[in-house]
Amino acid sequence: MGYNIIVCIKQIANDIEIDPQTREPVFSDTKYRLEDLSRNAVEEAVRIKEKYGGKVTGILFGTEQSTVVMKEAMAMGADEGIIVKGFKENSPDFTAKVLAERIKRIQYDIIIIGYASADSYTAQVPGALSILLGIPLLGSAIKTEIADNKVRITRESDDFDIVESASMPLLVSVTQEANEPRLPLLIQVMAAAKKPMSIEETALKYDGIDKIIGNKAPESGRKHIIYEDEGKGIEEIVKIIKGEIS
Amino acid sequence: MKALLFSDRPLVTAQMSSLLCDYFEIGFMAYSKDYESLKDFGAKEIIVINGEYSPAESLAREIVSYMKEYDYIFIGATVLGREVGAMAAAISGAEMKSEIIEFGIKDGKTTTKRLYYGGKTVLEEESNAKIFTVSQGLKETKKIESSPKKNEIELKTKSSVELGEKIQKATTSTDITKADIIVSIGRGLSKKEDLSIITDFASVMHAELAGSRPICADYHWLEEERQVGLSGKKVNPKLYIAIGISGQIQHIAGMRGSKTVIAINKDKSAPIFSECDYGIVGDLYSIVPKLTKILRG
Repeated sequence: MGYNIIVCIKQIANDIEIDPQTREPVFSDTKYRLEDLSRNAVEEAVRIKEKYGGKVTGILFGTEQSTVVMKEAMAMGADEGIIVKGFKENSPDFTAKVLAERIKRIQYDIIIIGYASADSYTAQVPGALSILLGIPLLGSAIKTEIADNKVRITRESDDFDIVESASMPLLVSVTQEANEPRLPLLIQVMAAAKKPMSIEETALKYDGIDKIIGNKAPESGRKHIIYEDEGKGIEEIVKIIKGEIS
Repeated sequence: MKALLFSDRPLVTAQMSSLLCDYFEIGFMAYSKDYESLKDFGAKEIIVINGEYSPAESLAREIVSYMKEYDYIFIGATVLGREVGAMAAAISGAEMKSEIIEFGIKDGKTTTKRLYYGGKTVLEEESNAKIFTVSQGLKETKKIESSPKKNEIELKTKSSVELGEKIQKATTSTDITKADIIVSIGRGLSKKEDLSIITDFASVMHAELAGSRPICADYHWLEEERQVGLSGKKVNPKLYIAIGISGQIQHIAGMRGSKTVIAINKDKSAPIFSECDYGIVGDLYSIVPKLTKILRG
């Protein structure tokens, strides 16, 4: 017995520089890595495999640079990888459609995905994916358990936590509190190079028509008066605070 | 034009109403427990759901069934709301914009702003979106005299998600989005027992206490509702004092609206120093007690 586990992965720019003149992001030489909550998703998928048996397939809607990102997931314990090329920034609905279309052709019991991504933070893909695949979503999980083909999670919500459960096949979205992602050993990093990975183009056509008016860093306008002398700093800060609270 | 507003947190519904009442005739969808508290916030109609919590899909399908009557749907960006919005968009095929911080209409198109690249930039878009999730704490609520029509319903779609035990979180009645002065603490504090240094300092100024994600969500040293950042609250006090906070962009995204920012950090190269008006490079364990003592007089 074991489960066919799919983990949906996103890639994220390592660090985005802002051009101080135009305040726009600069993309030359950008390196990509496994997105923060995708790391929690991979960790959760691998833990389920380790506990209950089965196989973990990573799926990443990405670009030319995605193989290094998929290898990171494989070093953490994903067994196979599927990269679908054609990613469009800022189009979570398109991402969900592409992922759903590809996942429909795979046998699965459970899909794991991050609740939101650290760059765009739309949190749109899990909900959309569950509708497009017609499977239940157990969202915002901080704890995931499986018994009798049923998955039970503790869901973290704004004002309370709640236990939710549903039958497989299903989708689970995890938060940053779900687990502590492992750091792979060198031997695991090397083994990842030999794991099977397919790279394909999406058959779906992107029909995004939004107009981007701007995407700039907000102007800071802060004074930046920094004291390295503690005594002097305390003296000046007290004046500022007194001015504010009077 | 008509807009339907939903949030599982009534405060957020009221905030959205003050953001949108100049553009639309407003209707609310709300749980029966929240009906009384939402009566005076400008809605012409309140669709009252019997109950107090339901799976996202049941809510999403209900909301979509009102899209013939209502031109636009706005949902509070709570944990539940983000899922409801995404599902409603997938069910209806309508376009959606998430976590918006500004809204406008120009020549029949909507213009929205939201944070991008972890809060480094603000993305401004023009789109045909019909469904939006709205960032929490964007606007002050304002009472608007109205006698809404009450329309009681039961959710028609039963979800395949079964609900179990509910575990109430430790909450207080504080709302840091309304505070004038905020003292915010980060990982520079090495253990929970040392929090008293910070609470003493906050109390001499009558400031609200807040924290970065690790302090609130990971270590639970402070209640989660005190978390400032992209995934927490967006605050705009007169004075924001960041203590031992390195200033990751996700945190900056939550405190950018502050009028004056003071930072205390021992790391001279901490990014918080590029987002502050005044800063002291030094050890919070030495600086904060001294500040408290002087301010106490």
